[in-house]
Amino acid sequence: MKIIKTLCLLLTTLLVSGLAVAQGATVLYNERVVEIEQTLADATDLWVSPEDLTRINDFVLKPEGACLDELCIPVLQDRDSDMFVRRQDQSWFNVTGLADKLQQAHVTDHEDGVWSFGGMPIERRAFFQGGEAPDFALPDRDGNIISLANFRGKKVLLLTWASW
Amino acid sequence: MPVWQSIYEELKSDNFEIISVAEDTGGEAAAGPIFDAANVTYTSIIDVNHHISALYNLVNVPSGIWIDEEGKIVRINEGTYAKSHGAFGTDDYAPIVRDWAANGADSPYVWDLNRVREGIFQRTEEAERAQPAFRLGTYYFTRDNEEKAEKYFNLAQELDPDSWNYLRQDIHYEEGGSAGPQWRARRAAEENRGETYYAPLDIEPQPPSGN
Repeated sequence: MKIIKTLCLLLTTLLVSGLAVAQGATVLYNERVVEIEQTLADATDLWVSPEDLTRINDFVLKPEGACLDELCIPVLQDRDSDMFVRRQDQSWFNVTGLADKLQQAHVTDHEDGVWSFGGMPIERRAFFQGGEAPDFALPDRDGNIISLANFRGKKVLLLTWASW
Repeated sequence: MPVWQSIYEELKSDNFEIISVAEDTGGEAAAGPIFDAANVTYTSIIDVNHHISALYNLVNVPSGIWIDEEGKIVRINEGTYAKSHGAFGTDDYAPIVRDWAANGADSPYVWDLNRVREGIFQRTEEAERAQPAFRLGTYYFTRDNEEKAEKYFNLAQELDPDSWNYLRQDIHYEEGGSAGPQWRARRAAEENRGETYYAPLDIEPQPPSGN
């Protein structure tokens, strides 16, 4: 009887932890491909640890909220919410929830767990309203990272073309 | 491209740089030989994910953008070849580039902020989802998962029907190619509606603004 009880308890623990922590995910954002080892299981949203949040989009979870430089999106952390939950001493943050708050487009291949995010409108205002050239960091053919910031003081003719 | 190279050799002393971006999911194998054949010495990027077109709201190639010494856009979203060839391009563009390289902000071809804002192509909310969809497509394409790549390339085209880049990058790998019947039919339909295939060039000098 005791053995059965222990087995039941073990099974329940396994089930709960199995439900709580899902396998990894791959996140695409700008030129980044971020492999996440563990996510919180959810049919629609991507929940990651605060450390992985920063690896994905540079947002840092602080007491005042999820912050990127001066911008902070308030996030309650003393209880579970649609943005933040705690399970067995591990915090989980809802990346897609943040994206929706920021009106950041995203598309997911749920079968493979690949989550792809577009640009953040809040970072696009200077372009649309101020005519500022959005910067980028892309490798040239020699592998040097090219960024517009390196060309300050020069006029740049930016040309796109394609072989196709 | 050899013409851009000769323009670059002429102008590069004037604090002027060309950054040429190949919107090519096929990567170095697709675009590299074309850069090499032109002996290009300006900055050359092969943009597998079409990141630059997404960032600057461009829907076609070739497209040109002028960025001044402070990182401000002073012309954007123009279908630009270095010179006329066949039905495309014009010999009138290279001279205005020369004027800008020489005169900077005093060039009459530099746009003011209002004109720049007008010139930025506006994507619909739905079209904003095309970029992450296309990015999924390139993710699978570069991992040889053709079925999934095709799924997301198609989704990107559905979400952003204004983008020639998403269409032509995809049909390049299909029967008929990027300038085949599918491209011709859509181009004809668009032109019949009075739209232009390339973003129009505005080479009239702007009058001095006086402020």
